[in-house]
Formats: sequence, C-alpha cells, structure tokens
Amino acid sequence: MQSATTVAAGSDQSVARPAAPRLATTGAILAAAAALLAAGVLVGFWIAPTDASTLGFSQKIFYIHAPIAETALLAYGVAFVAAILYLRRGDARYDRLGVAAVRLGLLFSALVMITGVVWGRAAWGVWWAWEPRLTTFLLACLLYSGYFVLRGSVDDEARRATYGALFAIIAFVDVPITFFATRFLPAGLHPVVIGPSGSGMDYRDLIAFVAGLAGMTLLFVGLLRVELGIESLHEQLRELKYRLGR
Amino acid sequence: MGWRQFKAMVRKDVVSELRTRETVVSMFLFVVLAMIVFHYAFTVSGGGRLSFYTGGMLWVVFVFGALLGLNRSFAHEKDDGCLDGLLLCPVDRMTIYLAKMTANLIFLGAIQVVAVPVFALFFASGRIATHLPAFLALVVLADLGIAALGTLLATITMNTRSRDLLLPIVFLPLVIPLLIAAASGTSALLSGAAGAPSVLGRLAFLLVYDGVFLVLAYGTYDVAIGE
Repeated sequence: MQSATTVAAGSDQSVARPAAPRLATTGAILAAAAALLAAGVLVGFWIAPTDASTLGFSQKIFYIHAPIAETALLAYGVAFVAAILYLRRGDARYDRLGVAAVRLGLLFSALVMITGVVWGRAAWGVWWAWEPRLTTFLLACLLYSGYFVLRGSVDDEARRATYGALFAIIAFVDVPITFFATRFLPAGLHPVVIGPSGSGMDYRDLIAFVAGLAGMTLLFVGLLRVELGIESLHEQLRELKYRLGR
Repeated sequence: MGWRQFKAMVRKDVVSELRTRETVVSMFLFVVLAMIVFHYAFTVSGGGRLSFYTGGMLWVVFVFGALLGLNRSFAHEKDDGCLDGLLLCPVDRMTIYLAKMTANLIFLGAIQVVAVPVFALFFASGRIATHLPAFLALVVLADLGIAALGTLLATITMNTRSRDLLLPIVFLPLVIPLLIAAASGTSALLSGAAGAPSVLGRLAFLLVYDGVFLVLAYGTYDVAIGE
C-alpha cells in the first residue's frame, strides 16, 4: 500500500480522491449512538412500567423495533434524495451515497423483519402474520434487493449509477403505495401506538422510545459515514491499480 | 408531443406483431395454460369451489402474461437496431414511451378480450357479465398501470446483461399494490357480497397508481432510455 501511494504520488496527474468522511467524527457519532441506545434500553426495560395490556413484557421490544423501522425508512429516503441529486448533477458522490443508504436500508429492514417476527410470536402467538406493515417491509426488502441485482447486471459505470438512481426513485414512491394497498386486505393485527388521539404513552416510555429513535438514527449516520469511507478507499485503490497498469 | 409520430410508432408495433403474431399468441397460450395449472393446483381436495380465489387467479395470470409481452417489447428494438433509429428520430422521448406503452396496452387488451370469457367459462360462470361495467373499469385501470410501470422498467432492463431475468425481479414487487387492488376488487365483484363502495375505492386507488407511474415516467424517461 505504501509503495503504491508513492508511485501514484510520483506521477504527473493528480489522483482524484473522493473526500472520505473523517474517522474521528464517525467514531464520536457511533459512540453517541451506542450511549443513546443503551440509555433507551435501560429506561425501557428497567424504569418504564411494564405494559398493562396483554402484550406485557413483550411490549419492550417496541423500543428497538419501531426505531429500527423508522431508520430503515429514513435510509430509503436518503437514497431517494441522493438519486434525485445524482440525476440532476451527475456527481458520482451522490451515487455512492445512494448505494450506501440502500445497503443500510436493507440491513435495517432485515432487522425490522427479525424483531417483528419475534414480537409477533410473543404478542399474537404466530411467527408470521400477513400484517400490512410487516408485509410492506418484506416487499421493501425484496424491492431493494432488486436494486443490487439491477446494478450488478450493468457494466457501464455511468449507466449503472443512472439506473440505480431511477430504481431508487421508483422504489421509494412504491413503498407508501404498497402500505396503502395492504389496507385493502382483511384487518391487521398491528398495535397503533401513536394514533390521532395522541401517544397514550407514559413519559418514561416516551423517553425510552425517543432515546432509541435518536440512537438508531445516529447509528445510521455513523454507519453511512463508514460505508462512504470504505467506498472512497475502494475508489482510491482502483485508481492506484489503474496507475500501476494492473 | 407529436400525435403523428405517436400514431406511426404504435402502428409500427401493431403491424410487426400482426405479421409475426409471436408475442400475442405466446401470451394467450401462457394465460390459458396458467389458468389450467391453477385449476389443478387448487382443486386437489376434490370438488372444492374456486370462487374464493378467482380474482387473485385472474390477475396473477394477467400480470405474468404481461411480463412475457413486456420482455419482448424492447427485445426487437434492441436486437435489430431499431432503437437507435427511434432515438435518432426528431421525436420527444416521452412520445416513444407513450407509443410503446400503448402498444403493450393493446396487446394485453387483445389477450384479455379472449382470455376473460375463457376464464369466466372455467371459473366464474356468468358472474362477470352481471357486473360488466365495473369489471371493465377495473381491467382498463389495472392494464394501464401494468403497461405504464412495465414499459418504464422494460426500458431500463433492456440495456442490462440479464434483461429477461431482471424484469420480473424488479417488476413484481412494484406491481403488487396493483395486484392487491385489482384482485380484491374482482373478487368483491364476483362474490357479489361486497357493495359498490369497496370497488370504487379500488378503482380510485388504481387511478392514483396509474397517475403516479405515468408522472414518474414523464419525469425520468429521458434518462431511462439513454442517449
């Protein structure tokens, strides 16, 4: 690696390096995320009252499950905005941001499915229920997996980025439509926690939930920066290999 | 949008299909075969009535049948170099999209004109005829959605390495909302139990779905079809 850098630096052309996010800031964000998530779990499990309804202790997974779900949607939203910016400006940075966001969105969606299945088993007695929100996440998982299949089957780099961006836009528009369409099916089992009449939560529940949400969002931001850093290193490596004629 | 160019492009697709008849005939045979497959797959318990599943079966058959046509719709253009010709023409990209979409819509409609009576004969004797206007409205709106989304995605996938393989992977998850609305609406009509409001809700949903994907295509087709 050291010798490669020297060779590259010795040549006439300057290496176009995509700006990598600073590692120290990423570390600080991840540490803050860990602290908030730990605080959320502490408050949620030990301080907040146990749910009085039939959900009982199993309701505690809400402090993890709901923030993960909202972070997954946030990730897809970031990919959507990055896609629009890429199509408007043609800057490869937005493409990298989009890929990183979709990858994390898939990760968080998978976690939504896992925690949802666990909660479903505890609350409804079945491992899998064809319930609107869970079904929407399953479809989002499949849809955004298609994003990578699509990208994988395009050789040209600019075209790959363009198609990825187009697909990220189409997919993001489709997610709420899917959620709405599942309402046409027989009624779901999902608890409505924050309805039109307010949240109905104890303030301790609310603290645990907000801490979980903030922590999960920060975790996403931190992981996004890590992903972008890795991507920028890949880019530099490609550039150096190209310079060395390999 | 050029109306003359639009007509010329639709005519080109229809005429070339009339000469070869390969897409429409394969789609029709596929659709009828799929119905027969469904019959044997669902009546294993002997004498079971399929009316509960009919709406779903009908739309699964049409969505998969449409996939065959969509895969073909750009294959000729790409393989025979016709697409380059189209792109060189002084025609708005959106006109190309609307013409291809209309051609796909015509092929799908042509299949349904024959396949729906066959379906009614097999699974829903006489019940479609009693709700014909509502059923036709469902079919038209759902077809428009399938063609609008399918043409946009087929344009994207035609330039990829594994285009025939890729189209279903990206098309099916996106078409599921339409499938839910069309299938549940058809089932409601056929069972006769649900009132008109539930069908109207589905029709409104399909209208929104079609509108969303037409607007998306309008905004992105220049980029999708490439330079």
